[in-house]
Amino acid sequence: MAVAEAGTAAAPPRRRRRRLSLATPSLLGVPLAWLGVFFLAPIAIVAAYSFDVYSLYPGTHGFTTAAWHDFLHSPVYLRLFWKSVQMSLIVSAVVVALAYPLAYYLALSGTKRKYVLLLLLIAPFLTSYLLRVLAWKVILGNQGVINSFLFWTGMRSPDHPISQLLYSRFAVMLVLGYVWLPFVALPIFVSLESMDRRLLEAASDLGASRLWAFFRVTLPLSLPGVVAAFLFVFIPTLGEFVTPSLVGGASGYMYGNQIVDLFGTGFPDWETGSVLALFLLGVVAALTVVFSRFLRSGQAAVG
Amino acid sequence: MGNHEETERLSRQRLLKIAAAGGAGLLTTRLGTAQAALDALAAESGRLKVLDWPGYGNDGGQSMFASYVKKYPHNKPQFTVMANESDALAKFHAGLKPDLFRPYVGWVKYFATSGLVQPWDPKLISNFKHLNPFMVKAGQYKGKQYGIPADWGFDAILYRSDKVTPKARSWGLIFDDRYKGKIAWFDDLNMLTVAGLYLGFPRPWRQSDSELRKAQQFLIKKKKNVRLIWSSETDLWQAFGSGELWIAYAWPNDWVQMKKKKLKVVYMRPREKPVAWVGMFMVLKGSPRRRLAHAYVDAWSSTRSAKWLEDNYGYGHANVLARPSSSDLLKALQLTNTRAVTEPAAHLDRDIPRRAQYARMWEEVKASG
Repeated sequence: MAVAEAGTAAAPPRRRRRRLSLATPSLLGVPLAWLGVFFLAPIAIVAAYSFDVYSLYPGTHGFTTAAWHDFLHSPVYLRLFWKSVQMSLIVSAVVVALAYPLAYYLALSGTKRKYVLLLLLIAPFLTSYLLRVLAWKVILGNQGVINSFLFWTGMRSPDHPISQLLYSRFAVMLVLGYVWLPFVALPIFVSLESMDRRLLEAASDLGASRLWAFFRVTLPLSLPGVVAAFLFVFIPTLGEFVTPSLVGGASGYMYGNQIVDLFGTGFPDWETGSVLALFLLGVVAALTVVFSRFLRSGQAAVG
Repeated sequence: MGNHEETERLSRQRLLKIAAAGGAGLLTTRLGTAQAALDALAAESGRLKVLDWPGYGNDGGQSMFASYVKKYPHNKPQFTVMANESDALAKFHAGLKPDLFRPYVGWVKYFATSGLVQPWDPKLISNFKHLNPFMVKAGQYKGKQYGIPADWGFDAILYRSDKVTPKARSWGLIFDDRYKGKIAWFDDLNMLTVAGLYLGFPRPWRQSDSELRKAQQFLIKKKKNVRLIWSSETDLWQAFGSGELWIAYAWPNDWVQMKKKKLKVVYMRPREKPVAWVGMFMVLKGSPRRRLAHAYVDAWSSTRSAKWLEDNYGYGHANVLARPSSSDLLKALQLTNTRAVTEPAAHLDRDIPRRAQYARMWEEVKASG
């Protein structure tokens, strides 16, 4: 009886352990399978395209690194990539700089309506992305809102509108900044709001001015949010193709447009298109790793 | 005499009998053929699968195939949109199996030799006789009718006559440094062909490596003048209409549309000649609805459909009986000239044997700068 009791008493932990060991893979299984089927497998297919070991098109195909060689030795594609990096960096930096005070006000001002204001900030997401981009055409065009206002005030004559507002790099960066601003404000808001306010009080008690407390306490503590926000903009804008194709014209053409065009227009060149896509993926992955390490070390330093 | 008359009567009777028998036989054969055609048509079932450009299906182009729908209500067309010929090619290889599609004349040889399409039987298209013979010939490969001509037009230059003073009647206007930021090019590898025409290469569709490099470098050098590289006419109309652009690589309909906006515009035929294009219906090999495909193309080829296309879309139609209501369009398309799409009026777009190389070099032009 005692043995039996001991046996039954020992059983539950073993069962729990077994349940635990089964629960982990079954919980992880679905997302892992999802990642495998819809992320890793397509990447593998694109990689196969880039080495010409797989192709939709008939003809002789075999392993070759020609497309990679051409890409790495073609100044055109690398220059286009660098141009897109520059544009994305400018957009990300400017948008983070603009979003920070906004998030700061919402998180730390103590206003009761902060969630209403936050809702207003993300209100543009209620309309379609395409519509929001197209609306800028109406604003920036030769006969758009800005130029019409300048004509009305007499600051410009209707024969000499500011033409470079639309179909230019400026237009692409402006619209991208507008589109991504709410995305940037949110992670900064979250990191600021979760900050322990007693640290600011302590800084004040120790004689720090508000500005000094901001630079020594608030900013370092909100840096993970800032970096996350920066990445939130930088990564998608680097591969962006919708906005440049709508408002970019010939000079606002970006790396993402080239990938789309290599797959879709002229004559299919999926090999080169795949190389460009994988290169972009590689750069973005590397940047994410670097930034996440920076985030960890930043957090450790602050902690 | 009597015998002779009898023989004569008999022979007449016999002749009449033979004639009657022959006539009946012929009629039977004809009826048999027609019956066989009807049987074959009846045997074809399901919706006709059409791969076509945007605006030519149930999204605005219904008038082009209304008579087909009326005749075959159980086999209504089902559309898939193609962005261009290479997109169509990608779709075929990815497993799409339409019954017919409509590439342009420069691709006839490519598709005819690809093993993807089969020749048409012109006898099954009652309106075939009204189609422009030159365009019909352009749809042939090795004597077989792989393409049935449909819409056509030109690539030439549109410019604002109140803003632009061309130095010459030449393709050079779309490269003119004086109009930096006011020029639009077309997003197509044909830009290399046009550069070749302007640079005086003897065979712009078959440029040598050094010629191609020169054409590419020339385009890269002149790209700084370009504001927009358009792929959708709507974008071109918007930018040209609002004054962002003064000069554009354009089609006749773009000129008509800009005239409608009361802009002072000229559609210039350059001395190096415009490039003409013709849409060609092609039927896919193994199509289970081959005869229905013929019926569909027959509806498209009718004079009524052709006139509708000219009036509403501003393109020419291969049916020579059709005339648009607009005299402007008639003039722009030179519709009274049945050889408007070929020498000496224009260069008909043609097969580019090194199309992949052209495409790669054009993509590099877009990526440059």
